[in-house]
Amino acid sequence: MNETVKPKITVMYCINSFVEQAAFHAAFKNDADIAFVKLACSSMVKDVYLLRAFEAGSDAVAVFVCPEGHCRYVEGNLRAGKRIAWVQALLDEIGLGGNRLALHHMSAGDDAGAEKVIKDTLAALEDSGLSPAR
Amino acid sequence: MIVGEQKSLAEIKDLVMPYDKILVLGCGTCVKTCFAGGEDETAVLASALRLAFKTEGRSVRVSEFTVERQCEDEFIQEASQAVKENDCVLSLACGAGVQAIARRFGKTVVLPGVNTTFIGVLEKQGLFTEECAGCGDCKLAIFGAVCPVTRCAKKLLNGPCGGSQNGKCEVNPDTDCAWQLIIHRLETLGQLDNLRTYIPPKDWRTSNAGGPRKLVREDHII
Amino acid sequence: MSENAISGLQQRLSAGAFAVTAECGPPRGSNLGVIQQKGELLKGVVDAVNVTDNQTAIVRMSSIAACVHLLHLGLEPVMQMVTRDRNRIALQSDILGAYSLGIRNILCLSGDHQSFGSQPDALNVFDIDSMNLLRAVKNMRDDGKDMSGFELNEAPRMFIGAAANPFADPFEYRVIRLAKKIGAGADFIQTQCVYNRERFKEWIRLAREEGLTEKVYILAGVTPLKSAGMARYMNSKVAGMDVPEAVIQRMAGVPKQEAAQEGIKICLETIAELRETKGVHGVHIMAIEWEQAVGEIVSAAGLK
Repeated sequence: MNETVKPKITVMYCINSFVEQAAFHAAFKNDADIAFVKLACSSMVKDVYLLRAFEAGSDAVAVFVCPEGHCRYVEGNLRAGKRIAWVQALLDEIGLGGNRLALHHMSAGDDAGAEKVIKDTLAALEDSGLSPAR
Repeated sequence: MIVGEQKSLAEIKDLVMPYDKILVLGCGTCVKTCFAGGEDETAVLASALRLAFKTEGRSVRVSEFTVERQCEDEFIQEASQAVKENDCVLSLACGAGVQAIARRFGKTVVLPGVNTTFIGVLEKQGLFTEECAGCGDCKLAIFGAVCPVTRCAKKLLNGPCGGSQNGKCEVNPDTDCAWQLIIHRLETLGQLDNLRTYIPPKDWRTSNAGGPRKLVREDHII
Repeated sequence: MSENAISGLQQRLSAGAFAVTAECGPPRGSNLGVIQQKGELLKGVVDAVNVTDNQTAIVRMSSIAACVHLLHLGLEPVMQMVTRDRNRIALQSDILGAYSLGIRNILCLSGDHQSFGSQPDALNVFDIDSMNLLRAVKNMRDDGKDMSGFELNEAPRMFIGAAANPFADPFEYRVIRLAKKIGAGADFIQTQCVYNRERFKEWIRLAREEGLTEKVYILAGVTPLKSAGMARYMNSKVAGMDVPEAVIQRMAGVPKQEAAQEGIKICLETIAELRETKGVHGVHIMAIEWEQAVGEIVSAAGLK
C-alpha cells in the first residue's frame, strides 16, 4: 500500500503576531507535518535559519510577522521583509524556488487568517510539488 | 579594509562541481565586515550549496570552518584538520588569503569564492567605497587627503578633466568627481595654492606596475 | 612659412590674424577615402585641422596616420594626443615619429574615459596626465631632451596646444587651470564649444585679469547646431557642455527643415561676438560629421 508523503511546512512566527494552540495542530493533522518555531520578533529570521529549515526537509516555510507599523520593536518586521527577500532570491538561484518561502502579516487572535495561510501554502505545494532537496 | 563580494552561487557551484567533500573556509576579518565571507556567510553558502546539489539529486558533503584571518599562519593552522578531511577548499577570504591557504596546503585544491575588489572604508551602513590604490608613494598631503590616484577615474594629478559636472565624474553620475572634492577640501583648509603647483609624472615603480611587492622588516626577523 | 616659425598655424597667430581651425574625425576603419573627402572640404578653408585621437574612446584610424594623410593632401594638421591609451614611452615615441613625418602641431589631452567607447572592457593607461604631456613636449622642443633627460637626436619642435573648458565645474578653478596649462607649456588653447556667451566672456575676463590672454593664443570653440534635439542632447548628455535654454528654444522655435540654418545663424552670431572679444585669437569650428558647413560658416563670417 502506498502512503502518500505528507508535505512538511515550517511556520516561524513572531510571538506578538500569533498564538500557537492545540486546535490549530489538530486542524491540519492529516494534511501536513507542521513545525512551529517561536521568535521573539520576526526580525530574528536569520538567512541561515531559513535555509536550514529547507535542509531539514521543509517543502515550504511561512513566516508570520506583525502588520506594517505594528512591530513593537518598530523595525523588526521591516528587517524580516528584507531578509526574507534576500533568501527568496537565493532559493531561486539554488533551484528550489523562492516561492516556497513567504512572509505573511498576521495579527494575534486571527486564527481564521492563519488557517487560510496554511491552506493556501498547501495548495501552492500541490502545484510546485514537494521539495526536491528533501 | 579589503572589500570583496561573494561570487554568484552559479559560479561557485561550477567551481566545486568535481568534488564530493567540500570545505567552505571563512575568514573573520575584512570579508566578514563586508559580508562576503565571514562565519555567517560561510554558513549560508554551505547550506545553499547543500540544498542546490540536493535539488539536483546529488548528495555532497559541505563542511564549514572559519578562522580569524586567512593571511596569517597562526590562524591558518587551525584549519589544518578540516582541510585534511576534504577534497577541496572553497576559501571565502580575499585573494591574498586564498593564495596563502594554497601555499600552506600545497597538495589541496583551493578555490576562490570571493571576488576581491578594493581597499576601502565603510562609508555608511551598507556602503563600502574604494579609497586607496596602494600606489606605494602617498601624496595625500598635497591633495587635502583625497586621493586622485584612486578616486579620479583618469588618475589625474594636476586638476580635473573637462568632464567634471555638478561635482560628479563623467564616468558615473553617482560618483563624486575626486577633483571637486580636492578643491573643496583645499578651499576649506586654505590651501588652494596647492592647485597651482605643477605635479610631475608619477613614479609608478612603487606600485604594482613595478611587479608584485614585498615588505621585509629585518627588525622582526631573528 | 618663415624659417623660424614652428608651424603655419603658429605663424598666422603670431602675425595677429584671427585664426580658424576645424576638426576631422578619422574613419572607423582603414578607408583612406573618408579622410580625402573631409580633407577636400576643408582645404583652403581653414588654417589647420585637428585630427582626433580615438575620440570618445572609440577605435578609429590613428591620429598620427590620419594627420599624415592630410599632410599629403596639402592641409596642416593638429595632431590630438590623449594620455588614456599610451604610456609615456609610447607617447614620446609617437611625438618623435610624428615630427619626422612632418606634423608640427599637437593638442595634449587626457581623453574621454574608455567606458564611453567601443571597448569599455579595456584597461586604460593614464600613466601621465595632459599637464605632464604638455611639459614633456615643451621640454623636448626647448631643451631637446626626452622625459628621462636624454638628449634627443634631433628634437621635435611642435606648436603646443591644450584644451580648456570654461563650462565645466568648478568655475572658479577653471582660470587657475588655464594658468597652469600655460605654465606647463601650452602655446595655444582650444576651448569647448561656446553657446553660453555670457559665461564664456566672464571666463575670458578673468583670464585677461590674470594676464593669461597675453601669454597664450585662445581659440574659442564653436559648433553649429543641427536641431533642437541635438541642442538638448548636448546639454544633458555631453559632459562639460552648457547650452542655455534660450538657445534650445531658438532651435525649437523654427520649423524642422530650417533648424540647420538657424544653427548656422547662431554660430555666425557667436563668431561675430567672439571676434570682438579681447583675448580671443581665433575660432575652432567643430562641425561634427558636417564638414560641409565649415566652408559656409567661414565665408559667411568673412574669416577667409
